[in-house]
Amino acid sequence: MVAPTWLAGTVNSRPADPADPATPANPATPATPATPANPATPAAQPTHARPPLVRSAEGRGLGGVARGVAKHLGVSVALVRWAFVGTSVLFGAGALFYVFLWAMVPREGADGRGPLPILLRLRWTRRTAMVVAGAALLAIGMLLAAQAAGANVHWEWWLPTGALLAGVGLAWSQLEHRGGPGRAAGGDAVPKADIAGPPRPAAGQAWAGRSPVSWARLAGGVVLVIAGVVLLIGQNRPVASLGYAIVAGVAVVAGVGTVLAPWWARLLRELGDERAARAREAERADIAAHLHDSVLQTLAVLRAQSEDPDAVRRLARAQERELRRWLYETRAPASDSVAAGLKDVVAEVEDASGVEIGIVVVGDAPPWPAAEALLRALREALTNATRHGAPPIDVYLEVSERGIEAYVRDRGAGFDLAAVSSDRLGVRESIIGRMQRSGGSARVSRALGGGTEVRLAVPASAGGGAR
Amino acid sequence: MTGDESLRRLRVVLVDDHALFRAGARAELGRQFEMVGEAGTVAEAVAAIHRSLPDVVLLDVHMPDGGGVQVLRSCTDVLGTTRFLALSVSDAAEDVVGAIRAGARGYVTKTIAANELADAVTRVAAGDAVFSPRLAGFVLDAFGTSAGDVAAHEDELDRLSAREQEVMRLIARGHTYREVAGELFISIKTVESHVSAVLRKLQLSSRAELTRWAAARRLL
Repeated sequence: MVAPTWLAGTVNSRPADPADPATPANPATPATPATPANPATPAAQPTHARPPLVRSAEGRGLGGVARGVAKHLGVSVALVRWAFVGTSVLFGAGALFYVFLWAMVPREGADGRGPLPILLRLRWTRRTAMVVAGAALLAIGMLLAAQAAGANVHWEWWLPTGALLAGVGLAWSQLEHRGGPGRAAGGDAVPKADIAGPPRPAAGQAWAGRSPVSWARLAGGVVLVIAGVVLLIGQNRPVASLGYAIVAGVAVVAGVGTVLAPWWARLLRELGDERAARAREAERADIAAHLHDSVLQTLAVLRAQSEDPDAVRRLARAQERELRRWLYETRAPASDSVAAGLKDVVAEVEDASGVEIGIVVVGDAPPWPAAEALLRALREALTNATRHGAPPIDVYLEVSERGIEAYVRDRGAGFDLAAVSSDRLGVRESIIGRMQRSGGSARVSRALGGGTEVRLAVPASAGGGAR
Repeated sequence: MTGDESLRRLRVVLVDDHALFRAGARAELGRQFEMVGEAGTVAEAVAAIHRSLPDVVLLDVHMPDGGGVQVLRSCTDVLGTTRFLALSVSDAAEDVVGAIRAGARGYVTKTIAANELADAVTRVAAGDAVFSPRLAGFVLDAFGTSAGDVAAHEDELDRLSAREQEVMRLIARGHTYREVAGELFISIKTVESHVSAVLRKLQLSSRAELTRWAAARRLL
């Protein structure tokens, strides 16, 4: 199976916050096929010599299908057109195929970014379902009305045709449903996310990650279509010959499938290879862009400021932190993670003071109000340590099911809380007072090896907890 | 065993792909130790270690062509006599724990002060384990810190004892072994034996959570 390598191309784009409650379906959101075409549609041309199958924009008779097919196959347009006309004699097969291609094949556009095939852009939402159901009911109503008016309605034709159409609709509606529960449940609210998303996975990937419901719908569609076809063809025929015909039909489908399978497999593989190459290219471009925006800029600034050792140190440290985070961490936003919040706090204090701070974090949890208060108190403690203490400064933060415990340690001359006058708000108010108000505790003590150690703790809340 | 070895200068090999760092470390450590070899690649390192059979190898865990783990895997024959101390600028747990599980006796970051690095080398040469705050944090993270994670028996490999947790926590808070000893009212020797026990667990444990934790950080 083809791995979804295109995911790798989106290193920097953070997925939407999964913790957010799903936006309620907004009935006003237009969920129509008029949604702009996916901008991330494959830009690279296929590498093989054969031009891609697109509907021709120039020199077209009807929809540009014949010319497109001719270009793709490398045969004359006239031949293709005659083939369409000729096969149309057989129950209109040529015409149907033409319509099918017209709907499924993208039109040739500037730099190959044709709009997605119409049917791929159709979204099976509650709204379209309503429209389809309404149309079906209307058709039935009109037929019944016609019958009541005395017209001879050929139900033996209409019923199989209806089954056929319903089956096709059901199966094709699953073209969109590849994502599973998230998409299925999102209804009208989801399609917007697709616009900025990666290229729509075609063929091979579309089969991965389907939900059982989606499979059931597809199977139901196929069964409906088969039933429709059998009823349509098998009218007025003995049941025995019908069974024979079904066996023959299955045999033909299996035979043709076996013959075509290698081509199909190769097509899938080529698609996969192409997508992987594109993902690699995108990843490389992403890395280059990131290095350009961060490291190269910083180096330029460093060169300009080389006379100021303090600024150089600060810049180098900030850049190091940033690069390291980019390389090694898949970071949750600070709103989701106490550990990420701590790193933000430390980064700010480091930037402001120019003093390096060692961080050790154990465990993680989404923050709750008391945890946020602890981080604010921690910022105050760190600022004090950089101002009055001496490096090295270490922060240790542990999140467990008991709550959060944090230590800030410096190697300064030490600190006597009793000796600090009460009008100095720093420690008393913004550390100790803040912790007590949020149900936690703070303790400032002289560390054994010299220096000061501040211990901050908050108990776990009902909403917060370990990892 | 200390009597003899303290008289003789410890023989050290330095493995790091950054020539600049090697030059700095050589200058700092050269006063105290006998620098018997240097290497910038895995192959050079393996050759240098087997040639000079040093007491301690300072090993950069993050190098091209396999890094410190690869060196350790190629030097399993000398692990009994030569001690490896892992060095890194990397914050990546995968490199660090990988090196420890491959046989390194400790881990320090390259930002360590020169005198502390010298202490760490001496300690590793004496057969003790060296835990930087970050490594202690990794250990706590991997073995868990909740009450259910405390080992009931001393010889249990997959969990830390309550005392070991306390020691790791103090080291993670930035305390030296001496300060840990003072804090817990135990001797430095006891702290060292606790740390060595934790190192052994880190190397030998098959704890499912450790494996899962490691897998989440793409290691082992």
